[in-house]
Amino acid sequence: MNYLNYAAAVFLLIPIAAIAINNICPKPYMKKNFHTLTGTVAVFQIAAAAYALCAMNANGLTAYDFSILSNLKITGSALFRLTPVSLIFLLCIGMVAFVSVAVASKTVESMRISYVNLLMTMLIGMNGMVLVKDLFTLYVFLDVVGISSFVLISLFRSTKALEGSVKYLVISEFATIFILTALAFIFMQTGSLAYQDIGGVLEGADGSQKNLIYLSIALLIAGFSIKAGAVPFHSWLPDAHQSADTAVSILLSGIVIKIAGVYGLFMVVSLFPGVRAVQIALAAIGVASILTGALLALRQTHFKRIVAYSSVSQIGYILLGLSCGTTVGLIGAVAHVFSHAAFKTTLFSNAAALHEQVGTLDIDKMGGLQSRMPVTSLSSVVAFLSTAGIPPFAGFWSKLLIIIALWTSGSAVLGGVALIASIFTCAYLLRLQKKVFFGETPEHLKNVTEVKGGIKFVEIALTVITSATGILFPLVLIYLQSRGLI
Amino acid sequence: MDQNMNFQTVMLIVGFLMIIAGCYCMIRTYHILKIFIGVEIAMKAVTMFLVLAGYVNGRAGLSQAYVITAIVLEVVVAVVFAGVTIHLYKKYGNMDIRNLTQLKG
Amino acid sequence: MEVIIYICLALLLSFCILAAMSQSLLKSAIFLAFASATLGVILFVLGAPWAAVIEVSACSGLVTVIFISAISLSRIKKEEVQKLYADKKQMKYLPYILIIAGIVIIVAALAGSVALPGTAVESTEDFREVFWNSRQADILGQIVSILIGGIAVYVLMRESKD
Repeated sequence: MNYLNYAAAVFLLIPIAAIAINNICPKPYMKKNFHTLTGTVAVFQIAAAAYALCAMNANGLTAYDFSILSNLKITGSALFRLTPVSLIFLLCIGMVAFVSVAVASKTVESMRISYVNLLMTMLIGMNGMVLVKDLFTLYVFLDVVGISSFVLISLFRSTKALEGSVKYLVISEFATIFILTALAFIFMQTGSLAYQDIGGVLEGADGSQKNLIYLSIALLIAGFSIKAGAVPFHSWLPDAHQSADTAVSILLSGIVIKIAGVYGLFMVVSLFPGVRAVQIALAAIGVASILTGALLALRQTHFKRIVAYSSVSQIGYILLGLSCGTTVGLIGAVAHVFSHAAFKTTLFSNAAALHEQVGTLDIDKMGGLQSRMPVTSLSSVVAFLSTAGIPPFAGFWSKLLIIIALWTSGSAVLGGVALIASIFTCAYLLRLQKKVFFGETPEHLKNVTEVKGGIKFVEIALTVITSATGILFPLVLIYLQSRGLI
Repeated sequence: MDQNMNFQTVMLIVGFLMIIAGCYCMIRTYHILKIFIGVEIAMKAVTMFLVLAGYVNGRAGLSQAYVITAIVLEVVVAVVFAGVTIHLYKKYGNMDIRNLTQLKG
Repeated sequence: MEVIIYICLALLLSFCILAAMSQSLLKSAIFLAFASATLGVILFVLGAPWAAVIEVSACSGLVTVIFISAISLSRIKKEEVQKLYADKKQMKYLPYILIIAGIVIIVAALAGSVALPGTAVESTEDFREVFWNSRQADILGQIVSILIGGIAVYVLMRESKD
């Protein structure tokens, strides 16, 4: 049991220690080895999450409370809680942070110490969000993640990056206002905002007070959808993800929109279960996101912008999974969070590789790179197949779970829409692959070579993870069935 | 209608009006710094809601903790926003939001 | 006590509308500072003295100083301001929108009978105990965000090397 306590303390204390080490060590040394420090932090996080999952499973725990300052003698003072769902999110955070660091070792040339500081604070924010037991503390860490992502986007102060950062900031402030208003109204009804106290608020309220609660649930959904980049609040997402440095885009698209947005909606769905209007609203937002993201991605010519619109589309799938209200839907949504993290980071790593070797990200200027950059093109094809939901990759299983959940919970129409939208997904990604990797090689690209070092390693690793998760997923399903969850 | 307009209800109404005023100011202005004035107006309404909630259900200490945390976060966002805005001024020469047209589509 | 609250609410709303509609950004910031002071009075009457103090000192003081320093770092001539921004056209609909919204909200409130309990419950807890003992995760979040603010000032305000 003690080891679980140490593993739990890793998530919040190791980034703080890394910030201290980063600023105390001499500067030239840190500038050369910044990826070692942050890579170690990410590996620690992955290892601690995996260990905690196994330990909690072996001991049969469903929740483990802990606190950082262990000299509190007050009962009920454990401020953080580990649950299996939060451990899966923590695993995803660690994986995406590792990929981002590997890419950053090549693409981030200056301001490395500030990059490490900001990455560590973003890690503290994201870990904090999934670990707390109180809705207001969730908002505090959400704001921490938001502020550190504003600064990370505008780290290199190019005009496009500042513009993307301003747009993200303004729309994010709307989310802050909505979420805080909703929290104030919920606080009026119950006496506190801890998760266990909010549970019974809908039953205990009478007619007039229920209207305020419904209004606050609507505001919470709106606020978290803004952070997740779902339609109709998606306009900041392509600008912010395109204009940021690629290492930052990996973080943003791979994990921030999911932790900040999807985890918030997951908490809303689990705190107010059974409200029919919530399910309808989430399903509507989900379907609109899938279709809008896919259709708008068909017209773009910038590699990262296509991938950013693809993020909007996949967030729609995750929201559809959440809207079912059944356990299968939740499991499908969490599985899709993991597989989306895997294939989206692969696509952005390919963008980083292309930018390093070719120098541009305009797909009209590229072509026929498959023979020149075999590793990049293979990982890109694997990511494309996983996104479109083709077996045996990880994306197939998570999409299958979501569509099964939609069928069994009565909305067969939505299941059909999700299935048909896969055709659009295939369409825009196929266009991307064809234009970049297949076809004729233009003259000025005849000498392009494969990218070396961290980016290549990470592309190979992610391809292996996507394939292995896909092949081994039936084992996960058998395990979940043995626990009675499916 | 037997509901009396006690001051709590008036506070709720004034708060909603302030949020609408703040959001309208954020959407319709052309000056980048005025966007933040809209955010500030809406945050004042939220502060008022939080303290009103504490007054109504007796947990004034907890509501003050919430308000102070929210104010600290808002000040940090103000600092970051001012920094980014000053840089945009250095690039463009004025603080017009219609300059931000580089990312399209 | 209620009279004070009503007067202060009216003052607060009018300062906020003036801040939103004003042409010059300096006047907007000053109106915002006055609105913060009025809100501080309301918070004090509602029994939240600590929140009132921090509201007046942080929002009325600190944020106004940040604003005015941002405005003075971006000094631009007065005539160009009037020509460029033309906010007057945009903002002149604000009072009408607010009046319509106010009528809609009052009708909705009376129809939906959204009622808050009229009597206040006496508060039995001390702010300092609650804040330092049971909101420690919030304190961690605040410290991290202040750290990010410091890094942001360094990143955004340093002299560029090129």
